[in-house]
Amino acid sequence: MSVDVLIAEDEPSILDSLDFILRRAGFSIESVTDGDAALAAIRRDRPRLVVLDVMLPKRSGFEVLKQIRADAVTHDLPVMILTAKGQAQDRQTAEDLGASSFITKPYANADVVGTVKRLLAEAAE
Amino acid sequence: MRAPIGLRISSRRRALGISQVALARQAGISASYLNLIESNRRQVGGALLLRLAHELGVEIGALSGDAEHRLIAEVEEALADPVLQSAELGLAARDLVAQQPAAALAIARLHRAYQGAQSVADDYADRLRTDPLLAELLHRVLSGITAVRSSAEILEDVPDLDEAERRRFLASITRETRGLTDVARGLIGQFEQEAKGRRTLSPMRELDDLIFERDNYFGGLESAAADLRGEIERAGAFGEATLTELLERTFGVRVVRSSGRELDAVGFPGQYHFNPDTRVMWFQTSAIAATRQFQLTRLYAELAASDAIEREVLAPELRSPAARRLGYRALGSYLAGAIVFPYAEFLGEAERLRYDIEALRQSYTASFEQVAHRLVTLRKPGAAGVPFGFLRSDPAGRLTKHFPLPGLPMPGAGHACPLWAIYGAFRTPEALVRQVAQFADGSRYLFIAQAHARRVANFAERGAIHTSVMLACDVLHADRTVYATGLDLSDPGADVPVGPACRLCPRRDCPDRQEEALMPGGQPGAVRAPLVPRRFDIGEAG
Repeated sequence: MSVDVLIAEDEPSILDSLDFILRRAGFSIESVTDGDAALAAIRRDRPRLVVLDVMLPKRSGFEVLKQIRADAVTHDLPVMILTAKGQAQDRQTAEDLGASSFITKPYANADVVGTVKRLLAEAAE
Repeated sequence: MRAPIGLRISSRRRALGISQVALARQAGISASYLNLIESNRRQVGGALLLRLAHELGVEIGALSGDAEHRLIAEVEEALADPVLQSAELGLAARDLVAQQPAAALAIARLHRAYQGAQSVADDYADRLRTDPLLAELLHRVLSGITAVRSSAEILEDVPDLDEAERRRFLASITRETRGLTDVARGLIGQFEQEAKGRRTLSPMRELDDLIFERDNYFGGLESAAADLRGEIERAGAFGEATLTELLERTFGVRVVRSSGRELDAVGFPGQYHFNPDTRVMWFQTSAIAATRQFQLTRLYAELAASDAIEREVLAPELRSPAARRLGYRALGSYLAGAIVFPYAEFLGEAERLRYDIEALRQSYTASFEQVAHRLVTLRKPGAAGVPFGFLRSDPAGRLTKHFPLPGLPMPGAGHACPLWAIYGAFRTPEALVRQVAQFADGSRYLFIAQAHARRVANFAERGAIHTSVMLACDVLHADRTVYATGLDLSDPGADVPVGPACRLCPRRDCPDRQEEALMPGGQPGAVRAPLVPRRFDIGEAG
């Protein structure tokens, strides 16, 4: 089964609401709750986009992003970074590691859905 | 310069119900002259001060003006603070203390409270930036808010939610809100815990107040020291061997030495450490005999006479737990010093040897700092030695220990004037440096300083850093010491012109100034200015 969006988020309530709003927007969703599971799911299920929280157990979102960009197979995979730390340094780190987009918590649901749609449309071009 | 003690004289006179005319007659001066003295328009000292003290029925020390000197120094520091830069009081600190002592005291207290509050704010700013617990709590707050917001938007924006979905997101909001409440309580508790430990007065200042109030003499500890010295000498000749044997026999303490590293109770590596669980007193092999003897004495004192130390620590000047902890350590060292250097015997030797620190070191198997520290505590009323002040500096120039000398403008923290002998001593380690220093108000002091290095234990240790220790006494007492030998104390022309610290010093023409002086009225000194004069007023292009 193809997966449109892989969500990597360890906070259950946030994961539940993200899953709900993106499914409602028409996307097929897979969810994981730590960085190692995220990498495994990416390699196994080849999602079209990853929504990646930075503060993940086992392996941080930034480390996962670095691995995604280092792998020739996943190098161009759209990645949206979610973080509660909206500091300039985090934004710069996300940019330097090749994040496609960066959203700071707390976010508006419409912004998440809109950004996912935009990134997938750009990737399809 | 003498302290403005006019108010003390008039207050005491009024309390005794004596008129100005009567006191003046008794003291052998005119009533108008006494009036000038009481209004601080004339200084008083010497024989006249003695007569006034006698007529007023007080010891000369009660009119010494020590408290006024200290208040003048505190007000000077307050007026030099940038926060009062634009205040134009029109009065120098000394005049303010003389003419408006209550206002001067209020300024000093407010400045202390302000400094304490600034320190707290700086600490909190650092904590917010770097504390991992706070970072974790803040992360949890933001995550909780994210979940609540997202769930609330779903409930509001999705019109066709079924009942199960509605309940699901309502439950999410409820759950996350409870979690946020717990986190908020945790954050508040964290800050309340911090606030309880904070005072508007720093612990060091509280300890300074205690030492100043007691004139650095603690009679209770001196009595306890005499008893403990007697106990030790009944077991054998005073020294490391007797102390080691007595500690083992009485308290089950074993003394060991090795070249390794141990951490003390707060995690600092040091040359010695007592483990209360294993009852082992450890010394690094580099610890010299003077250190071993002193620390064994201190350990014996803390084990045998902790109640004597605690009685002093309960003084009203020590209000915070941090100050009482500092006080316990400082007074434990005081007690140890009083045992190693019994008061009457040590005072006699000091007078006989004219305060020759090197000679005293060898007599007592002590270090320069230990002898200097004990000399500062020879303040027993009626049997006092030369009054000394004490300073210790690390090689970065930071003052790490001080005992004030009334009248000597000594900075409470940070750095002192770069010309002071305490810093010059770093240039000639292990050699004693003498200096006659003159302050801008004309007061003159003999400074005696020496820099010492801690011995290293082995090749692997980095080269040991030096610390510098300085004693200071008024030039009036210098000729009682061996250090006046060869100096012409009658010629102020040979003095080194100094200040307390650059930012507090009025000597605008000092070529060694390191920092702008922030004087009352916001008149910065002309240092570090561009070569080509420019205006840097707000709103103008630089």
